[in-house]
Amino acid sequence: MNCTVRVASPLRSYTNGSAQVQAEGRTVRDLLADLDRRYPGMRFRMIDEQDRMRPHIRLFVNTTAVDTLGDEVQPGDTLHLICALSGG
Amino acid sequence: MALTAAERSRYQRHLSLEEVGPEGQEKLKAARVVVIGAGGLGSPSLLYLAASGVGRLGIVDCDRVEASNLQRQVLFDTRDVGRSKAQAARERLAALNPEIEVVAHDVELRAANVGHVLNDYDIVLDGSDRLATRYVVNDACVILRKALVSAAIHRFEGQVITCVPGSGPCYRCLYAEVPEGLVPNCADAGVLGVLPGVLGAIQATEAIKLIVGVGEPLVGRLVVYDALELQFREFAFERRTDCAVCGDRPTITEPRDPPQACDAETAGRIRRLHADELRSLLGGDGRDGEAGLVLVDVREPREFAAGHLPHAVNIPVAELPHRLREIPQDATPVFICRSGARSLAACGVALRAGRPDVCHLEGGMLTWSA
Repeated sequence: MNCTVRVASPLRSYTNGSAQVQAEGRTVRDLLADLDRRYPGMRFRMIDEQDRMRPHIRLFVNTTAVDTLGDEVQPGDTLHLICALSGG
Repeated sequence: MALTAAERSRYQRHLSLEEVGPEGQEKLKAARVVVIGAGGLGSPSLLYLAASGVGRLGIVDCDRVEASNLQRQVLFDTRDVGRSKAQAARERLAALNPEIEVVAHDVELRAANVGHVLNDYDIVLDGSDRLATRYVVNDACVILRKALVSAAIHRFEGQVITCVPGSGPCYRCLYAEVPEGLVPNCADAGVLGVLPGVLGAIQATEAIKLIVGVGEPLVGRLVVYDALELQFREFAFERRTDCAVCGDRPTITEPRDPPQACDAETAGRIRRLHADELRSLLGGDGRDGEAGLVLVDVREPREFAAGHLPHAVNIPVAELPHRLREIPQDATPVFICRSGARSLAACGVALRAGRPDVCHLEGGMLTWSA
């Protein structure tokens, strides 16, 4: 299933500057794995060695917060990758 | 707090608004708002809050105005370069509106002083450029029950939330913690000058709504602004029952400074190289073989591509934990970034992973090219 992924500004160094990319999968975990295949190293910026979301990263499917990486996605959904920002 | 004739004249356009009117303007006159950081975000929010007649306005900033601030920090002009930001801002705001009280706090906010500073205010606007400050401010606001409007910016993107204790989530509910050094700041990543104008104006709007008691505050909603696409996106988030400060069983009951990227013991094991020392260690041609040093540039690939030392390898600090093995075990890494903050964080990562010797370039590439 094809989903749109919106990439937070600090993570765009992985996507050659693209704000929006595509990924395939039935769950958030699948989408992140697919992203990592396309953009190596990107998943580790969001997910730690214990398969937990890093505390400065929030994921949303459309406008709903992702609780677990097993959350299912539907074709056409948008996964938003949100990252804490520090600039003032 | 009744309005004077001069105030009725000054705030006439507010008085004409049914939603504000004389009653709302009197609330603004009685209000006390403090802005953390007189930078890109603090500039517009302070200007609008002063112009709007907020009775007491605090400015917290311990930095001095630099020429590179003027591209976005519209509180200041060229003559202010080198001056205390808090003092220069106070003068500018007092000139804008002599009817209000403006207080300059020329201090760095830490756990030890945050309560003392915030105590005199009802609403806090956070526009600081340090993550450590953001957590100290959030925790103090929850504990002291102050409303907080927090915004942050990066390149062309900004985020803003409003936290009202007792009626929604706090900043920590959104981002439980952020390791310092893993999130680039404006100095490292760049920022569109007008971007904080949008976010700072939203912060001021939120403060005025809370004071006057109109509209829907941005509680439990994260707004993300993308300037390139001119899109505002909104995401709902909830109070976390396990939040360390506003959760059901808080573990943070008084403000505390976040752990440093390197604790004192770790810091003592880091060899801090100045640019001249590193130059002489590397030799004239920049080769690193003889000294057994490996130059590891921990900036983002985009920053690295824009210019780096000869023979340096690029491992962004956020990737370092799982890419340490790329640095030969028998070599001593010299971590390098723009200003020396991320390289220090990288030293901590390497030492904690068991590397015996680590160096970093004190002051970063800024000192190398200076």
